[in-house]
Amino acid sequence: MLYFVGQVFPYIAAGVFLAGMAWRVWTWLRVPTPFPLTLSPASRTLTERAITFGKELALFRGLWAGDRGLWLAAWLMHVSLAMVIGGHIVGIATLGNEFTAIGLTSEHSQALSGVMATVSGLILLVALLVLLYRRTAIPEVKRLSDPADYFDLLLILSVVVSGMHMRLTSIEVDIAAIRTYMAGIMSFQPIPIPNEGIFISHFFLVNLLLIYFPFSKLVHLAGSIVNRAMLIAPPPVYPSATNMRSNSIQSNVQMWRGGNQQ
Amino acid sequence: MSMLDINGRQIEIDEDGFIVDPASWNEDIVSYFAKQEDVSELTENHWKVINYLRQYFQQFGIAPMIRKLCKDTGFTLKEIYELFPSGPAKGACKLAGLPKPTGCV
Amino acid sequence: MKPPMHVAKDSEVALIGYPRIPEQDQQAAFLKKLDDLRVSMRSLMVMLENCTKCGNCAKQCHSYLGTEDYNNFPAARAELMRRIYKRYFTWTGRTFGRFFGAEDFDADTISKWLTYFYQCNECRRCAKFCPFGIDTAEVTIAARHILSEIGIMPKFMQGIAVNMNKTGNNMGIPKPAIIDCAEFMEDEMREETGLAIKIPIDKPNSEVLYIPSSADFFTNIDTMIGAAKLFHYLGVNWTIPSTVLEAANFGLLFNVNVMREQNQRLKAAATALGAKLVIQGECGHGWRAAKMYTDGCSGPVSFELVHILDYCDKHLDKLPLKKLPLRATLHDPCNYARAGEIIEQPRRIMRACVEEFVEMTPNRDENYCCGGGSGILMDEMMEIRMKLGKKKAEQVKALGRIDYLAMPCSICKAQIPAVMKHYGVLDLPMGGVMDLVGKAMLLGDTK
Repeated sequence: MLYFVGQVFPYIAAGVFLAGMAWRVWTWLRVPTPFPLTLSPASRTLTERAITFGKELALFRGLWAGDRGLWLAAWLMHVSLAMVIGGHIVGIATLGNEFTAIGLTSEHSQALSGVMATVSGLILLVALLVLLYRRTAIPEVKRLSDPADYFDLLLILSVVVSGMHMRLTSIEVDIAAIRTYMAGIMSFQPIPIPNEGIFISHFFLVNLLLIYFPFSKLVHLAGSIVNRAMLIAPPPVYPSATNMRSNSIQSNVQMWRGGNQQ
Repeated sequence: MSMLDINGRQIEIDEDGFIVDPASWNEDIVSYFAKQEDVSELTENHWKVINYLRQYFQQFGIAPMIRKLCKDTGFTLKEIYELFPSGPAKGACKLAGLPKPTGCV
Repeated sequence: MKPPMHVAKDSEVALIGYPRIPEQDQQAAFLKKLDDLRVSMRSLMVMLENCTKCGNCAKQCHSYLGTEDYNNFPAARAELMRRIYKRYFTWTGRTFGRFFGAEDFDADTISKWLTYFYQCNECRRCAKFCPFGIDTAEVTIAARHILSEIGIMPKFMQGIAVNMNKTGNNMGIPKPAIIDCAEFMEDEMREETGLAIKIPIDKPNSEVLYIPSSADFFTNIDTMIGAAKLFHYLGVNWTIPSTVLEAANFGLLFNVNVMREQNQRLKAAATALGAKLVIQGECGHGWRAAKMYTDGCSGPVSFELVHILDYCDKHLDKLPLKKLPLRATLHDPCNYARAGEIIEQPRRIMRACVEEFVEMTPNRDENYCCGGGSGILMDEMMEIRMKLGKKKAEQVKALGRIDYLAMPCSICKAQIPAVMKHYGVLDLPMGGVMDLVGKAMLLGDTK
């Protein structure tokens, strides 16, 4: 059982995540956009478009403009999540030497990593709890929510809680062993998973999340980009020399009668 | 669509209460609709507007421009609303047996 | 659930080529149409699959704020389609049903769609506030298209389609009436200015084609007069095609095939005339349809396409304008500000035409819809229409005393006066922006 969880499941999870996300994006990109959906005012140059993209996707401009409280919770959640994921990658790659490149000793480097991990983990935890509370407390949002909307939050929370458990409690977790194990996974030479209940739970939940991810609304990781791209399409210019229609992979389907030749 | 019995004649009207076939219009219809449209008494002024509308419609197949209606009948728009509370398009045209003007009006 | 509008009857929809599918076959046909759209309209799939149910759109939608009906809040409105889409077109919806928010098509589905997708004004304001840009207008366009394809549509839309087929304009104005109307407006202008300003209909060898809203030939004639004076002063060689006396394209508002037909009519008229420039008049959704949908509907075109406010703005410095003593404000038609790139042009024009221009709040691309958008002008829906216009009334009232409300779109011109009257804003002159140009322009005897 531990063999499956430690040396097989992670690959299934990663595979399903990558193939799943690719598949979702492919199902969208193969459908044409028969008409540009430019949301005025249009961004004229590539730079302007990049800035709009950045404002919307990195700074959550729409939420900032609409509901500051929601913006705070959602933005902090996403940023701290990015910090946590980034921290894991840096941590696994350079355990003990995270910040030695900028002149810290290994000891100070680990301490700083620890502080950053705890802070971002706590912010993430609190933000998720706020979002969960909000979903039950605001009538429209509550009525709008499906069981999956709660499940997403609870699943991520379980990952965060199990992770924070390792970070905050006095349970002795052998970080070096975990790192070696992760290195084995990354290099396709898996070794038995360290026999630490809390780590096994955490890692298992992460893999469960990876499998669940592409088939839930969490796919908005990619969907947000595809959606926003449609809205910053440039408006047509007249006279129009060539047929500007569609930019899909398969463009022989049409919305109107006489069309839909798939 | 429903059928109205107006003084013994069966007249077909649509969901907005306008007569379906302009050719089925007669003066009894005007009195009937007048009650519906809060027109207490059909005066000479009412008939002036109604007859103008009918004549224009017979010639051009559509209701006349509102400003032209005002100019040619000599009434201001305010006066037309006083005669026909629902206005020239929804009130006067109904009594005159024209189809209801549709589109962005 | 009884939809709040007159629904076109079997004979009526058959007349325009959209026969009503018999009730027992409706579900299958409905799902087939949804399937067709799913694979031909990327926005639909992406927007149905990525909503994270954050609810930010609720406070931004005038329809929800005005009607206080849960199904009118953008994400909830989209759910009417999303739930069915998930149930029949996603493996997670098929397998796990309610868990992922999937729901079966049932006896109420069609009437709920008819009720609520005709309470969305397709104004796109929700897309401004959604973190991803989910555009409920896209879902509404798709929903209305599906319904009309199985022969279910408001009588209002059917009536307009009949007129479009018969005469090429929404009001059903036949050519002799068009000419009579043009002559009347020419007389009015001659009386006012002493000049013989023409409104040429079907004039051959014209370089510029002007496409007014048909309402400009019925109630909003000051808009037409403003445009005619502009062209006269600039010495433009222009004409109006009697076959397409319609800037509007109601197909965008209920059926994509109808939209294509109307757009192709426009291209044909312009091509037949050999026009170099096509100028669209004051119509909101019609401008969006022409500007954004022409390529998809009719392929490449050899003419330049601009809006009358674009054109007027470009030539503004040349015009002999004397500012009118008015304190005026501008209502931004949704399809200009959020879908048509017409934001600053009407403002520049108004500043040149009136002494005091004031902005309502919010404005530009965050302005509220008038409540009539996407053709929600049915008389029988008046109560709902007034609720949809509630935010607009609040905005205008907040400005205190104003002398003119500019609303450069025919649907707005039909909806806003009723809204203002309903909310107690009386004696407020309202009209288009070109109306102001016409009134401010010093020509002939008005100098």
